[in-house]
Amino acid sequence: MLTVTDLRKEFATVVAVDGVSFEAGTGEVFGLLGPNGAGKTTTIRMILNILAPDSGSVTYDGKPFSQEVRNRVGYLPEERGLYRKSRLIDTIMYFAGLRGMKRSEARARALRWLGRLSLEEYRDRKVEELSKGNQQKVQFICAIIHDPSIVILDEPFSGLDPVNQILFKDIFQELRSAGKTVVFSTHQMDQAERLSDALCLINRGRVVLGGTLREVKKRYGANALRAEFSGDGSFMRNLPGVRRALLYGNAAELQLDEGARVQELIGAINAGVEISRLELVEPSLQSIFLQAVGVPAEGDAA
Amino acid sequence: MMSKVFSVARWEYVEKLRSKAFLIGLFLTPLLMIGMGVVPTLLITQADTRTKVIGLVDPSGLVAAPLAETMQNRYRLDNGAPNYIIRPLAVGPEESTDSATVEGDRLSASGEIDGYCILGATPEADTSVEYRSKSVGDFQLLEHLRQGLRSVLSDRKGVILGLDTAVIRALNVSVQMKQVKLTRSGEKEDSGFLQVFFSAYVFLFMLFLLIVTSGQLLVRSILEEKSNRIVEVLVSSCSATELMAGKVLGLSALGFTQIGFWSLIGAAATLAFGVTLVTPAVAALLVIYFVLGYLFYAAVFIGAGSPLTTEQEAQQVTSYLVMLLVLPIALAFPAMQNPDATWLKVLSFIPFLTPTMMALRIPIQMPSPWEILATILLMVASICLAMIAAGRIFRIAILSTGKSPKLAEIVRWAKEG
Repeated sequence: MLTVTDLRKEFATVVAVDGVSFEAGTGEVFGLLGPNGAGKTTTIRMILNILAPDSGSVTYDGKPFSQEVRNRVGYLPEERGLYRKSRLIDTIMYFAGLRGMKRSEARARALRWLGRLSLEEYRDRKVEELSKGNQQKVQFICAIIHDPSIVILDEPFSGLDPVNQILFKDIFQELRSAGKTVVFSTHQMDQAERLSDALCLINRGRVVLGGTLREVKKRYGANALRAEFSGDGSFMRNLPGVRRALLYGNAAELQLDEGARVQELIGAINAGVEISRLELVEPSLQSIFLQAVGVPAEGDAA
Repeated sequence: MMSKVFSVARWEYVEKLRSKAFLIGLFLTPLLMIGMGVVPTLLITQADTRTKVIGLVDPSGLVAAPLAETMQNRYRLDNGAPNYIIRPLAVGPEESTDSATVEGDRLSASGEIDGYCILGATPEADTSVEYRSKSVGDFQLLEHLRQGLRSVLSDRKGVILGLDTAVIRALNVSVQMKQVKLTRSGEKEDSGFLQVFFSAYVFLFMLFLLIVTSGQLLVRSILEEKSNRIVEVLVSSCSATELMAGKVLGLSALGFTQIGFWSLIGAAATLAFGVTLVTPAVAALLVIYFVLGYLFYAAVFIGAGSPLTTEQEAQQVTSYLVMLLVLPIALAFPAMQNPDATWLKVLSFIPFLTPTMMALRIPIQMPSPWEILATILLMVASICLAMIAAGRIFRIAILSTGKSPKLAEIVRWAKEG
């Protein structure tokens, strides 16, 4: 379990991280979300003791950062890079050694992972001879070679092709089943929505919302009714329980109040127009995020 | 703790050992040494392979014939042909040499003659002789010509004084110099100028190349780690101090590999050709200064290299350090002429120059024991200080991104830590 309490980091001109707190449990995939420049990478650097926070603390299973913790953490940085002139197997074994692993064990595990990610034919090749996608796989192996209990991945999916994205997601699930804590950052909300058990949304250095995916959705988005119809739908704006209506020619998205009576609403709509399609939808993380940071929803201007 | 230092050290050692730059340095350096030390020596002392023609402006008309004979008898090429031919240049009326020098200049320029000599009207009294040539650096030709003129002119003087030619020849003693170098304690050591020169140069150059090669490798690897952010993974795996210690250790191992390899070549050369460059005592001292210099510059390269962000900056900084290292090479000649000079001693106490200055001085003339002791202590202290400062800079610099920091900022890091 990783506990982050009230982290704060100020650079010369900006407050990059301003009181960020969250908790990522064991056997949990935790998404650290936010737009570019929100402070995700700075937070991660402080978690890994690469940057010293101005204030706040990070604990691992209740204990502060230490040499022992170092060996239990795996890290994939945002910028991709490896020693270009070095051989794959040597590179992986070097990072394993740095995390305190014995060489014989490191070698066996490295070979297993290279096999798993279909890279075994390259094991004695130099990194620079590999394609970009394969280099990312190698870097991923370097991050998890020592069987860490906490894996921290900064934008792990950027630049990955769809096939490798699926591969990485499978490995995420495996790590989760094995009781590891997986923390990953992303600015793609749909990805986070599909992958994370819990999340923390950061904007301009502050936590905007956090908790399990379920909690967040419950707390933030009331449900919405999406309708396609023929006829004049302008009356929908004034129906009871509709907080906000986005009206298009033959379609409407109605955001509902917490206590709205959905059955009655459907009846009223049915009476006014001819419905061709009607569905009750959950708001997406994307729209929750936009709502939370106060950006007007798309289509609102229409 | 130590296991991580060793992990880093092993990585730095093995990966750099495999790098092309290192392998080239390893094999090319001894070749360069041989090229620089042996080839010019061979060229200087090499015998001529063709007959040289020397013009002679001789207003008295008394020297040309005997000189031609003397030169022809004395100096021969390997194939038996004469080494020199004396070609008199016609002198105008009233012993004017003007037309002769015009002619001499023309012939020299066209390459018909190698050069020409201008004698006075009374050659036995006026012994200052002018030699004109396109190449005035031919020591061997000048020496031979001087010897030849000397014996012709002393014969001539003897005739004027009414002495018998046989007597003059008997008086004319030829002296051959053989140089013997004395050590501090006054023991004699059989080594010629060329040998001293050669060995001083060899060691200086070895030390220079050793430091520059590994310094560049070090800076380049730090730059690579910074630019692709590997350093973040490294620093989350081990502390910056462990990382730097590992780098220094790995690099030192690399340096020793290089020295060891070169020593083997040296030992093999000694056995094969029977040439002894240095005595064991000198060799031991040199190794000490090599190690000290190597460690000191490792710290300097880390301190100066880790704040950089681009390859161009790295090259610039490296070239400044190279200049510092090259300086003693430029001083090799004056140091050999006057090994007791005060400026040599003063320069030996500047830590950036100490190892190279001592490597230069030791083969020429062993510095006094107090100087050796004092410089070693100075270097040990300098290494400690440089390592601490480099560590402080390294810790901050490897994680800084964007533009390279200003010098004042780096100095502040080094001071405050």
